Amino acid sequence: MVKVFMPQSLKEALRIRKEEKAIPFAGGTDLMVKRGRLRGLAPYFEKPVLFLHKVKELTGVKFEEGRVRIGALSTLSEILENRDIPLILKYAIAEIASPAIRNLATIGGNICNASPAGDTLPPLYVMNARVVLSSFTSEREMKIMDFIKGPGSTDLKEEELLKEIIIPVEFFNIVFYRKVGTRKANSLSKVSFAGVARLDDGIIKDIRISFGAVAPTPLRAPEIEEEIIGKNKVKIIAKIPDILEKYARIIRPIDDQRSTARYRKTISLKILEYFLKEEIK
Amino acid sequence: MKKSDTGLKKRISEPVKRVDGPLKIKGEAKFVDDYIFDDVLHAVTVRSEKPRAKIKSIKIPPLPSGYFIVDKNDVPGKNRVKMILDDMPFFAEDVVNYVGEPILLVVGPDLEKVYGIASRVKIEYEDLPPILSIEEALTSNKPPIYGEDNLFGDYYFEKGNLDSCFKKADLIIRDEYRTGYQEHIYLEPQGMLGFYENGRVAVYGSMQCPYYVKNALVEALGWPEDKVRVVATTTGGGFGGKEEYPSLIAGHVALAAIKTKKPVKLIFDRKEDIEVTTKRHPSLIKFRTALDDNHNIMGMDVDIILDGGAYAGLSTVVLQRAMFAATGVYRIPNVRVRGRVVATNKVPSGAFRGFGAPQAFFAIEMHMHHLAQKLGVDPLEFKLKHVLKKGDYTSTGGLIRSEVKLQEMVEIIDSMSRYRDKYRKFKKEREKLRGIGISLFFHGCGFTGKGEEIIKAKVKLRKRRDGKVEILVANVDMGQGPLTTLRKIVSHTLHIPLDDVIYENPDTDRVPDSGPTVASRTVMIVGGLLERAARELRERWNEAPELEVSRVYKHPEYIRWDQERMEGDAYPEYSWGANVVEVEVDPITYEVEVKGIWAVYDIGVAIDERIIKGQIEGGIVQGLAYALMEKMEMKNGKILHNSLTDYIIPTSKDFPKIESRLVENPYKYGPFGAKCAGELPFVGAAPAVCAAIQHALGIPVKKIPVTPEDIMDLEERGSED
Amino acid sequence: MKIRFVLNHKKVEIDVDPLKRLLDVLREDFALKGVKEGCGEGECGACAVLVNGKLMNSCLIPVAQVDGKEVLTIEGYKNTKKYKIIEEAFLEAGAVQCGFCTPGMVMAIEALLSQNPSPEESDVREALSGNLCRCTGYNMIVDAVLLAALKGKGLW
Repeated sequence: MVKVFMPQSLKEALRIRKEEKAIPFAGGTDLMVKRGRLRGLAPYFEKPVLFLHKVKELTGVKFEEGRVRIGALSTLSEILENRDIPLILKYAIAEIASPAIRNLATIGGNICNASPAGDTLPPLYVMNARVVLSSFTSEREMKIMDFIKGPGSTDLKEEELLKEIIIPVEFFNIVFYRKVGTRKANSLSKVSFAGVARLDDGIIKDIRISFGAVAPTPLRAPEIEEEIIGKNKVKIIAKIPDILEKYARIIRPIDDQRSTARYRKTISLKILEYFLKEEIK
Repeated sequence: MKKSDTGLKKRISEPVKRVDGPLKIKGEAKFVDDYIFDDVLHAVTVRSEKPRAKIKSIKIPPLPSGYFIVDKNDVPGKNRVKMILDDMPFFAEDVVNYVGEPILLVVGPDLEKVYGIASRVKIEYEDLPPILSIEEALTSNKPPIYGEDNLFGDYYFEKGNLDSCFKKADLIIRDEYRTGYQEHIYLEPQGMLGFYENGRVAVYGSMQCPYYVKNALVEALGWPEDKVRVVATTTGGGFGGKEEYPSLIAGHVALAAIKTKKPVKLIFDRKEDIEVTTKRHPSLIKFRTALDDNHNIMGMDVDIILDGGAYAGLSTVVLQRAMFAATGVYRIPNVRVRGRVVATNKVPSGAFRGFGAPQAFFAIEMHMHHLAQKLGVDPLEFKLKHVLKKGDYTSTGGLIRSEVKLQEMVEIIDSMSRYRDKYRKFKKEREKLRGIGISLFFHGCGFTGKGEEIIKAKVKLRKRRDGKVEILVANVDMGQGPLTTLRKIVSHTLHIPLDDVIYENPDTDRVPDSGPTVASRTVMIVGGLLERAARELRERWNEAPELEVSRVYKHPEYIRWDQERMEGDAYPEYSWGANVVEVEVDPITYEVEVKGIWAVYDIGVAIDERIIKGQIEGGIVQGLAYALMEKMEMKNGKILHNSLTDYIIPTSKDFPKIESRLVENPYKYGPFGAKCAGELPFVGAAPAVCAAIQHALGIPVKKIPVTPEDIMDLEERGSED
Repeated sequence: MKIRFVLNHKKVEIDVDPLKRLLDVLREDFALKGVKEGCGEGECGACAVLVNGKLMNSCLIPVAQVDGKEVLTIEGYKNTKKYKIIEEAFLEAGAVQCGFCTPGMVMAIEALLSQNPSPEESDVREALSGNLCRCTGYNMIVDAVLLAALKGKGLW
């Protein structure tokens, strides 16, 4: 049987993480499935397991100095119920799994899984979220876009834990989220889309677009967004074919048991077109 | 006979509270995995990883004391599961024929250790060329899996003169339809408990057919019948999935219990259950239809091919039910139906609610729509023009003896759903992608052909000293309600309170063989026998303080059936249905939103309207999901959608409310006029929703499941018409 | 590892593999067989229990995670007045067929009604969306919940 740790403080957790190279265990909703074996048997871990549920420093949502700080161990339900959380993230979380899973699953877990279909990621990408990574000796902060490196792969070091997620609070008057799953609830994404924009006097002052499940990591292309900023509705409409073409070049989905690459690509571009045509008013 | 108030409702159809409800809601009903034993051994199955191969060697790791291997060498009788063709071994012998085929069991007291040993068993294979699709089965030169032609069944029947009618036809239209796998996903996975004591073996488990299991055990063990006992535990859903499959694993636990002299428990993991148990047969159905210039169908030539998987199981009977449904509810003067079920190196296909009829009804209903569209006439009016009426003959030349109320049912459903209005309206507003579809269908009640006569169901009623009456039958409540409905039939016939009728889960030591719990036969056939037994008991009530009355099934005299030629009355009676489904297709994502569901049925008389409503609701939702979301694909014989994350069944959010109604049409030989009901609601859902999608898109739907990915492809390819 | 928690209103302590699934601890160590395993991967909700009042799938929880918490299963709930209302509503609406999903459904309904005593139909559908039922097609369960909310007015 592997060693199991249940620390009470972040410091203790980080010490264990450093000394034991233990696997961090947050909500466990993915780990329990991935590590599951046969009915009736405990899941299998080859390395020590570090339970984080008693670490108070990792929980809670704080609103300060124009930023929302979300403890990595906050459950999806807690985030959904908190009024300081940006809408785009709430929209996404409301469509993740089922109530029972949202009561257990954490945002830190969803991020560190780095699934291409991880539904909290596109909203966090468009909100320019940052992650705070702690180790026993230091702490660092980075953009979530840089933290997520590939399917199941992040920049988390062996002695680090994801401590919190920081979201700058910004004003957007257009907030649009669309998940296309395998059914209406309790489903994994075939495609997800998060789009936010600020429209002042008919001019786009800011726009951010991110896609989930269409590439190895969530997709966001600030260079294409730049081309839309400063334009009015008429100019955007005229530019839609060009924008779609640019995204078409970087949207690279795969075929899997849930959908086809062709469907994913077609649909994500159609949702983008709908967003630009119908949501920006 | 009690003269006091019995608490009985005036009409039998009036709902009562489900007898098994309270225990189930409290979580106290005992399912197979809920029994507790101190010295139980756990079994884990080692399975083939190859679709088709010779087993060259099996290396078993050293076994600690108290741990056992059970395999083909432990089968004292015949290493074949008794079914129809008896071709499936309990444990593989020299070859394996599908991924997941059982090779041996590891049995022992600690599940962790059993699992460890099982994962260290090394099997060396020599690959053989696998046959993995219907096409391959029909055309490839690979060695056949079954017989010389690789067909488990190849049947044919004809009515009228098809060839000459095609010569005279003004228009000939061909169509081809495909349907996919469907997995039952009963919420309770399969499981069995085996016991060996004093030279007798007993098996407890989740099952629909205790006597199928018993007969399979008798054959596997080569023991006398009185040495084998089978008890059904509370069964958490079946839908056909626990019809023939439980015989296999009952054999496994029985053999293990005999070898180890201890209780043995085998409970499937969900993934295992999805990967290795039977599924609905995929199908390929082709039509060639001759029409005259008055838009009458002159003749229909139908070719049905089912994918049976590696072993025959019930495939030949499933095929026959598909064939008898091939021309739907329509009067077609000249008919030829050919049916084949091919062997492939995939998990065996088997019984599933509808039993071949859903594939055929999807195909015929879509074909009828397509014919109407080709002719430029209204699909519903075209269908109504051809529906069977009393006095008509079915495709097998069986006489329709009872009134067919389909016309009336269509008028009712039209007023409920405003189908005709919407059909015209939606057609004009194409950009919204709204559509509405209708399906008309039947279900043949009870076994096909002479099945019931062969089974010869036997029921018993026992009056006890305390005045209570016990029902002794082998039928199982897997959720569909016989614990309540059969009690109602007896209590109403005897005029005694429902509480005075006893009906326990069947135990073959106590109950006669009243046949399997399948084919929507429990109420009509078994309930019918119980009604007759109860009438006799009522007459003889005062004869003795304790009394037993039994009844054996006799085919009604009017039925004539020639199995060789497949001619005559394929079923004793039919139940009928009409469904309307309204959809909206999302123009961006091609997701189908079901906006409305309406249903009207003629099931004779409902024994309990609430239980029937449950069958209707559950059947329709399962049928809609079959059409829209339940996709199961394989790669090299391995199932890709092998978990509940990937194999998608509906949640509470996927479908809206259903409005349903019944029209009464009592059947003379059914208890209180009841006909069949359990499978019927499944049958009509897929063709109705697909007709609605077809209406919304203006493009024929020829394959289910029809997913958003498929709809996108259809849209992009555009209409072929 | 010793794990202490409150199970159905009673303090319990168990020396157990901390990674053992709560589902198995409840069924094997405490013989609470009303908690069912339908899938083992959090999809079906047959194993749903309340942990500190929140609905969770016990197949996804290593027992270590409930250390110091309160766990409520159908066995600890079935003697309450609220349960009785739900049971009656289930019988009246025809919400039970095979019964395998039912105890988990009941726990999901308690979780819903304790948060929202007068739910709309859409709230009910959302609350039950992680509890799969293959028999009923859900509508009769949804009706039962609405009926329970009506009949149990003031209880939740």
